[in-house]
Amino acid sequence: MSDLAIAAPVAAPAKARLHIPPGVAIGLGWILLMLAVAFLADIISPYGYTALDLRNRLSPPIGFGGVWAHPLGTDELGRDVLSRLIHSIRMSLLIAFGATIIGAAFGTTMGFLAAHFRGLVEQAVLALVDFSAALPFLILALAVLAFFGNSLWLFIVLLGFHAWERYARIARGLAISAGAQGYAAAVRQLGARPLRVYARHILPNIASTLIISMTLAFPEVILLESGLSFLGLGVQPPATSLGNMVGYGREYLTRAPWILLAPAFTIILTTLAISIVGDWLRDKLDPTLR
Amino acid sequence: MLRYLATRLLRALLTIAMVVTFAFVVLRLSGDPALLIMSVDAPPEAVEAFRTAWGLDESLWVQYVKYFNAILHGDLGRSMRDGRDAIQLVAERIPATLALTLPALAIKIGIGVPAGIYAALHRNSLTDRVVMTLAVMGFTVPSFVLGLLLVLVFAVQLGWLPSGGDGTWRHAVLPVVTLGVGGAAVLARFTRSAMLEVLGQPYIRTASAKGVPWHAVVRGHALPNAAIPTVTIVGFMVGSLIAGAVVVESVFSWPGVGRLLVVAVANRDLAVVQCILLLVAITMVSSNFVVDLLYGALDPRLRQSRAGGAG
Repeated sequence: MSDLAIAAPVAAPAKARLHIPPGVAIGLGWILLMLAVAFLADIISPYGYTALDLRNRLSPPIGFGGVWAHPLGTDELGRDVLSRLIHSIRMSLLIAFGATIIGAAFGTTMGFLAAHFRGLVEQAVLALVDFSAALPFLILALAVLAFFGNSLWLFIVLLGFHAWERYARIARGLAISAGAQGYAAAVRQLGARPLRVYARHILPNIASTLIISMTLAFPEVILLESGLSFLGLGVQPPATSLGNMVGYGREYLTRAPWILLAPAFTIILTTLAISIVGDWLRDKLDPTLR
Repeated sequence: MLRYLATRLLRALLTIAMVVTFAFVVLRLSGDPALLIMSVDAPPEAVEAFRTAWGLDESLWVQYVKYFNAILHGDLGRSMRDGRDAIQLVAERIPATLALTLPALAIKIGIGVPAGIYAALHRNSLTDRVVMTLAVMGFTVPSFVLGLLLVLVFAVQLGWLPSGGDGTWRHAVLPVVTLGVGGAAVLARFTRSAMLEVLGQPYIRTASAKGVPWHAVVRGHALPNAAIPTVTIVGFMVGSLIAGAVVVESVFSWPGVGRLLVVAVANRDLAVVQCILLLVAITMVSSNFVVDLLYGALDPRLRQSRAGGAG
């Protein structure tokens, strides 16, 4: 599995005439909305996410007999679902961004190391790649959480290891083929040190492929985070994330389904939007798929 | 061919050894298990006794060798909670998990592969778009959300099926559907792109150009070649039969391996977690190994003993 040849990307920049299909436009719009919500969470959320309103417990959303004070209703403790949703979006996006960037940075570095040193280093990296590919990441993550307990930073770093092997494979393959091309040899001849060659010359040339992998891994990280938080093993209360809200709302499935439905649909729409945009980007930037 | 198999086998064993080492390293890095299990105010003598009982007072190196040796002898330790053999605890749960994952696997393959092939052969048709939209949906809806939505509709609103627990086949319907739908979506997407890639190859054009009827081209050239990458992902699904239902089992309170894992993680019952980790790794690695064997059968380029044979 590890020796799959990676097609050299001939990622020609997309032509200036950019046609965006309506589905992708909606997806982009939703992503922008989510980003805005995440950045402005403190300003736009009507209440604090732990603020209680004991007189309005389990109040339904507007349209189902709810009051305007709580447009998406409240939960068992009278906490405003909209405010919690806004803060959950921020938390989930923060974790997914952090983890995706860690994974890409770590994986790319490992790939470059393998491509640069070859020999034993390369074999070691490939063995690690095999190891990561051999275990479903959820199981690995659960094991680490069992051993180390939980904290937000550990959780982000842990999720960062999701899909690192993909970046490592891509970076290794591309760096090896880039090393055989003239430009890398040229700057090396000019006396550039390896760090400079990789960071300033090879990395920009393979960036588009890596960015596509990141867009494709991003929704997976959101799903992983929400899955683990749903099981009660991810983000811990009083902090809240989308999966965490679904897990909490599950207890009130029959009496107050809105607690669960609001974050559930947010997860679905967000991962859907990113997947659609990611697929479109890949089709645009990868000429072999036309 | 033999060489190929030998390298594959070696790699598989190496991976399992790495999982064992990983479990050991992480276990020891995470701090003193004695203090994790015993309460903070436990008397020092009790902690000491616990350490001796579990062999925690020896040097790390000795512990590692003993650990490896014990695992080679099938001794995976005892549950630190109730003292039963971890492997026995896990083994008891396997049939329940298979009762979900095997029918789900049948759904995945039965729906996913034909849907993917059909979509690829009718690229850009309405059916293709519908299938792919459904596939993307199935892939982006997390299993716990899908499971809970199914419960909301079929258990809470309609009252047709139970919302959780086990006992009758009716309890298994919703979890199996939840597992199957998501996997079928992944498989359909994957099969479609594998088919499209093959259909774009020059040998397909050659076969068409020399007058081979289209259905024969598809059957004789496209399907066998697209099967190679598809087998990989099916192999991955087979490899996760044991622990592929962690989330879904928790949603439906199904007493399988996944549920045991979640509870063990929450209780930090390390022996059980370790045991499941190893079991999953072994299933995964053996299934990958079988996939490699199948490659040999499917891909004539790997059948070096027999000369010739076009791709």
